[in-house]
Amino acid sequence: MTTNKVTFGFFDEDAKKEIRRASLKAVALPGYIVPFASREMPIARGWGTGGLQVTLSLITEEDTLKVIDQGCDGSVNAVNIREFIVSVTGVKQTMATPEATVIQTRHRVPEYPLTSNQILVYQVPIPEVLTIVEPDTAKQKEMHASVDYSKLWVLLYEDTSQFGDSRISSRYPVRVNDHFVMDPSPIPKYDIPKLNNNPSLQLFGAGREKRIYAIPPYTKVEPLKFTDREFIIEDFGDKCCERCGATDVYLDEVHQEDGVHFFCSDTYHCDTNKNEVEDAA
Amino acid sequence: MSYVAIKGGTEAIRASKQFFNDSLKAAEKIDDKALIKGMVFSCDRVMGEGALYTEKLSAEAIRRSGGDLFEAAFYVRAHRSTCQRIGQIEPVDTSKMCILRRISAAFKDIKGGQILGPSCDYVIRLFTSFKEEAWKQRQSDPNSKDMYLESALGPFRQKDKVIILENSEKEPFDVTRTFPLPPYPRSALMQVMSRGETGALLAFAYTTMRGYGDVHPTIGDLRLGTAPFSFEHPFTRKKAKVGEMRFTACETVGSFSRDKKDGKLRLSVGYGFCFGFNETKAISMSILDLAMHHQGHSVGGMDIASNPEIIIHHVDAVESMGFSNHFKLPHYVTFQADLHVFEAAKDNDDSAS
Repeated sequence: MTTNKVTFGFFDEDAKKEIRRASLKAVALPGYIVPFASREMPIARGWGTGGLQVTLSLITEEDTLKVIDQGCDGSVNAVNIREFIVSVTGVKQTMATPEATVIQTRHRVPEYPLTSNQILVYQVPIPEVLTIVEPDTAKQKEMHASVDYSKLWVLLYEDTSQFGDSRISSRYPVRVNDHFVMDPSPIPKYDIPKLNNNPSLQLFGAGREKRIYAIPPYTKVEPLKFTDREFIIEDFGDKCCERCGATDVYLDEVHQEDGVHFFCSDTYHCDTNKNEVEDAA
Repeated sequence: MSYVAIKGGTEAIRASKQFFNDSLKAAEKIDDKALIKGMVFSCDRVMGEGALYTEKLSAEAIRRSGGDLFEAAFYVRAHRSTCQRIGQIEPVDTSKMCILRRISAAFKDIKGGQILGPSCDYVIRLFTSFKEEAWKQRQSDPNSKDMYLESALGPFRQKDKVIILENSEKEPFDVTRTFPLPPYPRSALMQVMSRGETGALLAFAYTTMRGYGDVHPTIGDLRLGTAPFSFEHPFTRKKAKVGEMRFTACETVGSFSRDKKDGKLRLSVGYGFCFGFNETKAISMSILDLAMHHQGHSVGGMDIASNPEIIIHHVDAVESMGFSNHFKLPHYVTFQADLHVFEAAKDNDDSAS
């Protein structure tokens, strides 16, 4: 095999520039989805190539990287993506949320509060929030331009009248900066409140659909909801993490030989919480 | 050399066939083992789309067609027409198969565990080697037992949380004996999809997950492995094991909806199955099964994949490839007729202006 000679961050400089320009535009228009070229990556489309491209375009030698999938640093896809990024950048990697400067994530926002020194990069499968009610790209664009989200409201109304609440479980539509309605990527409703007024820069990359969008730091983000209806997040009742005892976290339901168990979805949070509990004891 | 000689085409055709065979001569050097073991996914596609479980003939078909998998499946199908159907094997219960790989995306851990098995999912697709540390192959444990795992969705079924579609079919339909009229039995749709072309199934399934439809699938249980199949002996009437098959099966969870049976809310589940190892096909098929049998949110009738009429007639490789290539055949009679109509319309147009 030939020795591996790639530039820092895998891409050529033109590709990075293009992605950065799209990202800057996205930051300037919170919640607006910006098209970009989206190069083919050596991992498959739909496996995080959008997040990966955003991360590779902005990461520097000084950064410390954390990659999670379902809240877990050890999840196969997270490990694979982290190893790939490290192999083409040589950056420091960490599992500790506070130590990371760039966090690439799939399906979760870390439990540990983020700071203004951190960038959270989301892997996005379906960037267009209107897809569920209007699949045609040209019509979607018109609807955003006239801030016309009536079809989403009708869907919300239909679900509420039939089932008591929206059937949308993850990817719950959010309104950003009192203007555009946006798809927050498939995070659970539990994570939606964390998007609001978050000190970190949140960037969203969709590789297959070739879109980038952003929530700048300290931006107002609220779920699309009727004023007389409460936004209800997932409730685990009296269940707690069997490993660290945490109750105020998002839990994974795990089926094992001896039955169903619940554990923290955020593994770093679980580790630190477990240590704190043990230290206190 | 004209395209359609007025007469004397026989010689030209013979020469063309000879030319084709000569140009693929190098393929003769590829032996069965290299194809069956090394090009396993090509062979499996051909077996699946050819609708005949035969590794050896799939390998032969790939050689003869120069690696064109449409053509290879075509060879197998043509051969299939010469085989007498002597009966049906006992249904294979995929929850009782011997597992090589079994994953579920719905749960972090499941009874029996996530068994990655051999997979290219996490391969970095670069020609240069990418710090892939050589992994010392673990000695296979001679005492290791075969693995049998119930579906990861088993607990949901036991708790009556899954819609079980009504089945009024006494026996599964066989589209190779007679072709159904609508409404199409689910077993006929399943058979057509299981014989269907991987790319066609994928493309239709992709429309529903991308926006033209609203199937939001979660892979509940994807499994690769082997199972024996048995047959009732025609004379002794005893069950006899006649062989073993490798296959892929997939159960995909959709959204929830009202069960027609009792109006209760339950989860919808789609199923996919194919010969050999072909995860893309089994997943796509399970998504199409979901789309066709479980109405979800509406995108204003713009979805096509939920229409059995579309799926049953448009996913078969032998049919679609055959028809699209038939346009290479001479059409001079019909084109002549077309031209007459065109000229007449043009004359009419010109005289009116």
